[in-house]
Amino acid sequence: MPRLARSEWYDLTRDMNWTLSYVKEEEAWPAELSDGFGLPAEAWWAWDEPYKVTYPEYVHNQYGKDASVYAVNAVVGRSRMYERLDPGWKSAILAHYGVIAVPEYLASLGESRMGRFGRAAAWRNMATFGALDELRHGQIQTYFPYGLLPQEPRADWAHKALHTNEWGVIAARSLFDDMFTANDAVSMAVQLTFTFETGFTNLQFLGMAADAMKVGDVDFGALISSIQTDEARHSQQGEPTIGLLVEHGRADVAQRLVDHMFWRSWRLFALLTGLSMDYYTPLEHRGRSFAEFMREWICKQFLDQFRDFGLEKPWYWDEHFLPELDWYHHALQLGIWYWRPTVWWNPDAGVAPEEREWLERKYPGWNDTFGGYWDVVAANLRAGRPEATLPETFPMICHLCHIPVVAPAGYLAGRLASPRPYVLDRNGRRYVFCSAPCRWVFEQAPRRFQGHTTLIDRFLGGQVQPPTMEGALAYMGLSPEETGQDATGYAWAHAAPHGRTGPRD
Amino acid sequence: MALFPLQAVFDGDLVVLLVPVDDTDPMTVVADKVAHHVVGHRVAAQDRPLRVRHDGRTLPGDATAVSAGMRPLDVVEVGYVP
Repeated sequence: MPRLARSEWYDLTRDMNWTLSYVKEEEAWPAELSDGFGLPAEAWWAWDEPYKVTYPEYVHNQYGKDASVYAVNAVVGRSRMYERLDPGWKSAILAHYGVIAVPEYLASLGESRMGRFGRAAAWRNMATFGALDELRHGQIQTYFPYGLLPQEPRADWAHKALHTNEWGVIAARSLFDDMFTANDAVSMAVQLTFTFETGFTNLQFLGMAADAMKVGDVDFGALISSIQTDEARHSQQGEPTIGLLVEHGRADVAQRLVDHMFWRSWRLFALLTGLSMDYYTPLEHRGRSFAEFMREWICKQFLDQFRDFGLEKPWYWDEHFLPELDWYHHALQLGIWYWRPTVWWNPDAGVAPEEREWLERKYPGWNDTFGGYWDVVAANLRAGRPEATLPETFPMICHLCHIPVVAPAGYLAGRLASPRPYVLDRNGRRYVFCSAPCRWVFEQAPRRFQGHTTLIDRFLGGQVQPPTMEGALAYMGLSPEETGQDATGYAWAHAAPHGRTGPRD
Repeated sequence: MALFPLQAVFDGDLVVLLVPVDDTDPMTVVADKVAHHVVGHRVAAQDRPLRVRHDGRTLPGDATAVSAGMRPLDVVEVGYVP
């Protein structure tokens, strides 16, 4: 049977749109599954992305990627590589697996929704590959930690985490449900593929892969590199979607969707990547700081893309977002370390004397603000009072991002006008927000968010029994063996100041 | 007597805390209940009395959450008297 050249069939099979006659447009693309934002149906047919691939090419490429990365895993699995890794790095990858592995599977549901409800055939074609990508990412990121189980029981949380009510998981689930599990196809293309993947994870995965290789974790490095190549392709769905919205007079929609999801993505990104880069990665392997990475890569790339589309930077950019680069993740770091029993990984304090010098160099003033908290904590540890470094109550949690409210730290750092949370009374219920942008996102679509309950709501509502810290840990799915401990056994608190050889006073 | 949850910010601390108090607790006790979670844990102790602020005003030491007109999950700011 003669074979046609690719160029003779590709465009026809990739992009075959047709006018509906048996059903109405709103029946084929219901707004809750695919909001066209008023663009004529045929306007979407101009949707075009630059990263074109056929199914045989896709299968060939993916087979090669899987063969390569599973081969690395098989070799590394027979070595003692994992046990030789730095404890902080282990924490970083265990946190990553718990938050990311199963949501990758959920992302395949989102991609599948675009594969059916995308408003152009070319888009549906690309999204189908995206669904296959995310299935692979879900499988590979549960398989690799599965192989670690004999050495690392906490790797079980790669699969377990998203099925629990652990607080960080609630935050991640809320974000990802908003972004893709419960999002319509058009909004998802703007919020998942453009804002989150193009804006954050593409660059993050490149950086993490390089860091993994530097610390000697070739297993994780190979895994992340392999995933990133898929992300680079399927994240291309966002730009043509925004381009069409702007071209047809709906720049307001694109702007609102991006502003909404950039902020939410930033919140989780600061928690995961901020801690990983500035505290969990071994000092000798740290390059740029998290704030430098954000400014040089995320911010610059994102602003360039905004300008390309004629969009404005988000309204909160200068007043709220940029100032947070210097304090927000430092506050989360101390909070997560202090409330360490509530996470499934072992938080690395990352504040030994030489690490504090690095932090002060990268974040001038760090010692005067965050260093002061750690001084009190370290003094308790050196005095043999570890119980004084453990929590007896809970932080308030934001009703939008579901992350603890650390505004007082921003106030102490001179970056916020007030340490108080934002409170909103609505329909007889009191909502608490960590920041003005979180309140703004909520107020854009209150019916979408008003039913969510934070861990504090559940605690006060009697769902957490007994209503104690132990009861809360059980509610979050954390057995005593799984609760987070200090990653280095408090070695940092007893380390001699830089330049001295004896122990600290 | 009934449980009365408050949002508490201790001056110089890191995070907004959930602190359950009793609706008959005087503010001196409320201040101590908030400080219990912060002072000597993340903020160094000072040899000065504590005070409680609500809606921008400092409350008398014998006021209670009810007499001060507070609602559950109101925000109180606790700190050392300057």
